[in-house]
Amino acid sequence: MMAETKFDEGDGLPAVEKLITQEQIERYAVASGDFNPIHVDHEFAASSQFGRTIAHGMLVTASISEMMTLAFGETWPQSGRLKIRFKAPVYPGDKISTFGEVKSVRDRDGARTVACSIGVRTDKGEVAIAGDASVVVPLSNDTAGR
Amino acid sequence: MPIEYGDLTVGQKISDRTHLLDAEVVSQYVDAVEDRATLHSSVDGRPLVPPMAVAALSLRGVVQDLEIPGGTLHAGQELQFRGAVEVGAALDCSATLAQNSVRGEWRFLVVELEAVDSAGLVVMTGKSTIIVPAS
Repeated sequence: MMAETKFDEGDGLPAVEKLITQEQIERYAVASGDFNPIHVDHEFAASSQFGRTIAHGMLVTASISEMMTLAFGETWPQSGRLKIRFKAPVYPGDKISTFGEVKSVRDRDGARTVACSIGVRTDKGEVAIAGDASVVVPLSNDTAGR
Repeated sequence: MPIEYGDLTVGQKISDRTHLLDAEVVSQYVDAVEDRATLHSSVDGRPLVPPMAVAALSLRGVVQDLEIPGGTLHAGQELQFRGAVEVGAALDCSATLAQNSVRGEWRFLVVELEAVDSAGLVVMTGKSTIIVPAS
């Protein structure tokens, strides 16, 4: 895939939107091996502080990684950093949208670091995940040029 | 016999597993997260593993080897990806306890993750903060 090649401070990252479903949560439980009943057991989840099942945090985080891949291509798995807090649950039926903005572009020691604020918001307006992400590209490589 | 989380010590290795990220495993992951941003190596065009799949498999060891109880919450996550992983790679994924503390009714466990490929290169490191009911 081709990634966007030039970023400046203030630029937005391509939003990723998804509808989270219980069926998807169960598929993620199988793929990840995480069968915590808070995600897959309706009776257990009903007695929890959430009142019903919630999506795995890492399932929701995958949308952020997808956004970073769309923005930065192969640079993301080669040099990406991510630091996030899970701030609110995502429930089955929620529509989620990622958000991201380039906060700084710094050149140092032959490499360019593109730092972004990133997160995920639900269609109820709640921020489910918030944090920071960055990639580092050698300056000889044109993929993060300004 | 259930794990007594209060007995876990900082520096203790809590998981050490090898995962094969073959096409079936990766496809199952991509299908689950509905990731449409497929990546191919710019060097040889081979398909690459979504980096979060590496993180998910690393956490699998934590969840299963720590026998994480129901109601456990994932509070925070740090990840550093250090190299693209091709589909078909085998990764050694380990997890080490970095913090074990109790606040109120919750136990906070901070676990450091590392994934190493068959050539010995670290392809991912990370830190997971998970909150387990203290009682």
